[in-house]
Amino acid sequence: VSDCVKFRELLEAYALGALDVPERAALEAHLATGCTDCAKALAEAHWLVNQLAYLAPEALPSAMLKVRLLQTVRAEAQAAKQSASPKSAIPFWIWAGVAALLVVTIYSAWNAQRLQHDIQATNQKATAILQQRRDLEAQLEAAKREATIVTDPASVKIALAAQKTPVPSSDRVLQLWLIPKAPGGKPIPSLTVRPDADGKFVLLVAHPPELMVQTKALAITEEPEGGSPQPTTAPRWVGGVS
Amino acid sequence: VFLAALIPTADREVSPDATLVHRLLQKDVSAFEQLYDRHSRPIYSLVLRILQQAGTAEEVVQDVFLQLWRNAAQYDVSRGPFVPWLFTLARNRALDTLRLKSERQRRREDQTKELPPIASVPQYEQQFDEKRRAEKVRTLMASLSPQQKIAIELAYFEGLSHSEIAAALKEPLGTVKSWIRNGLLRLKEELQATT
Repeated sequence: VSDCVKFRELLEAYALGALDVPERAALEAHLATGCTDCAKALAEAHWLVNQLAYLAPEALPSAMLKVRLLQTVRAEAQAAKQSASPKSAIPFWIWAGVAALLVVTIYSAWNAQRLQHDIQATNQKATAILQQRRDLEAQLEAAKREATIVTDPASVKIALAAQKTPVPSSDRVLQLWLIPKAPGGKPIPSLTVRPDADGKFVLLVAHPPELMVQTKALAITEEPEGGSPQPTTAPRWVGGVS
Repeated sequence: VFLAALIPTADREVSPDATLVHRLLQKDVSAFEQLYDRHSRPIYSLVLRILQQAGTAEEVVQDVFLQLWRNAAQYDVSRGPFVPWLFTLARNRALDTLRLKSERQRRREDQTKELPPIASVPQYEQQFDEKRRAEKVRTLMASLSPQQKIAIELAYFEGLSHSEIAAALKEPLGTVKSWIRNGLLRLKEELQATT
């Protein structure tokens, strides 16, 4: 409050512009604090000081001053109107060109988007086809590792072929077994075969018809060279006989 | 409180001027002409009193009104009436011009050839109000001591500071401060008493 009292004494001189620098700086620092009472008193001081303008002897400016001012003002108003009017400032053909460019730009953007969409769809299809091909190749690879056993009841022959079979060691062979239908029946030994270096082999076996009738499945095991009377290893392949 | 009755309110004085200033934003030449007719005389009188040279005073008044025309948005209605704002603008411009002129150059000027023309009889009520206000202020100033009046006029019309006035009048700084402060307070009191 004491600060305000001190600064209030300076307000009229401040509004008059008569304060020297130190006092003016101190007062402006105080006003910058947001003192509302001093700000209100300063507004009144400004009004009071403005009344001093009426001390000036009354005088009239020359008529030419008004003429000069109005000429300048009219010219600037005309220029402002022209700059504010796009139709007069910019020829029609420029607007037409801008419009055409806009249309082409929009079409190009739309077309580019459509093409991108088509490329994405084609990529997805190609990926699916490649995946399908890989699956088929995997199935084929798996199929090649399996033996193909064909039984012909008419000729009572068993044709057995296989590719990429794991090759047994040099003193061992693959042996075919006939699994009887009778419960608890022991596997009946059949021929032995040794796959070549690529794992390929073909067996063509003939058995009596009655034996085949009693057979429910075929199996192949790995056995010592010359074969075994009973399987000594777990079957590598087992297939039903229809 | 007493100044609240004296200070023109927005409704009483600013409204017509504020409307005209607003039209300046749309580059309305007619509004500009009306503002010039309403205020060019007191503005010119003030500027001429400061500069003491008619040609220079007209250049400053031209600058003031062109600034108003080109930057009408600078006037903010919410910050006070238009006329004091325009007075302040004109006084600052005039004092800036005065400071640019050398003291020697100013002394060479033959001021007797630049006496301002006498104002014609006011034709409009607004001009009549201004006339009455001017008479009241002049009367009140005349009641101050000559030292108070000189000190205040040196500050207002010459733009001198306390210390510059003290040097010019060869008086102590504190004395000059007292003259100005007491003179303005007296003026304030007299305005209150006559309202």
